[in-house]
Amino acid sequence: VAKTSLTSPPWPEVKLPDPVEEAKYHAAEVVRKVNGLISAGQYGRLFAVVHFASKQWKITNEDLIMMDNVLEAECGDRIRMEKVLLVGADDFTLIGRPLLGKDLVRVEATVIEKTESWPKVNLRFWRRHNYQRKKIIANPQTVLRINTIEIYPCLS
Amino acid sequence: MVVLSAARWLRSRLSERFWRVQEVLKYARHFRGRKNRCYKLAVRSVRRAFVRSTKARREKKRFLRALWITRIEAASLEHGLKYPAFISNLVKTQVELNRKVLADLAIYEPKTFKSLAALAQRRRQEGFLAALGDGKEPEGIFSRIVHHH
Repeated sequence: VAKTSLTSPPWPEVKLPDPVEEAKYHAAEVVRKVNGLISAGQYGRLFAVVHFASKQWKITNEDLIMMDNVLEAECGDRIRMEKVLLVGADDFTLIGRPLLGKDLVRVEATVIEKTESWPKVNLRFWRRHNYQRKKIIANPQTVLRINTIEIYPCLS
Repeated sequence: MVVLSAARWLRSRLSERFWRVQEVLKYARHFRGRKNRCYKLAVRSVRRAFVRSTKARREKKRFLRALWITRIEAASLEHGLKYPAFISNLVKTQVELNRKVLADLAIYEPKTFKSLAALAQRRRQEGFLAALGDGKEPEGIFSRIVHHH
């Protein structure tokens, strides 16, 4: 039968690799290689994306983080951040769906200082209506320093 | 003798007017023109500045989100994906990264962003394949396609 403009669909034909073969390749090649790299310690600086204080932060070692709220921990306490979404180095990244396992990554931080922010002025003013309300807000802040990010070779 | 009210030549006048005026002028020192020196003009400018800063604090969030979206769109177009395709496929693979972090990764970790774009592209292809079905012709008498050989 002759080929017309409607014999094949207008979008490009895409052949996806076989799922069984791909699972084998993934388990054998990729996981083994990455595990090897991690256990040999052949990664430079690690960065991680951590969900903390209802925000996501992209952090590395020796990083300073400032949160706009109070943390119930004294200054100098070591904290372990558990909700890690992504860890990466130069050659590989581990993407969590949505979180990575706690036996895979360890992010440690120390509370450095607990202060208040600079006094912000909240002013509401309607002209010609004699309405003016002024409020000075100084919300509490906490500064953390990320000490280390460690990964362990327990991929599967 | 008993004095019930003060004498008329006795007035209570302000002695700390200087500091009250400085409290307002200190917020106007970096303004342009006479409103950084003259109290009457400075009061109006400082009031408008405070009102604008309170409103801007609410709009900063909208503005930053639009900026992140623009950056993610530019980065994903470099890898051949449009922004809605990228974000929707990333969400379907249960990767819960927000736009702020995605924009930071696009700037500072290009290899990681490339792998995320590849992940989204692969999920997109799988979605299309799942939606298209087998590719055979539909059954039924009236929907049969006639072949001329």
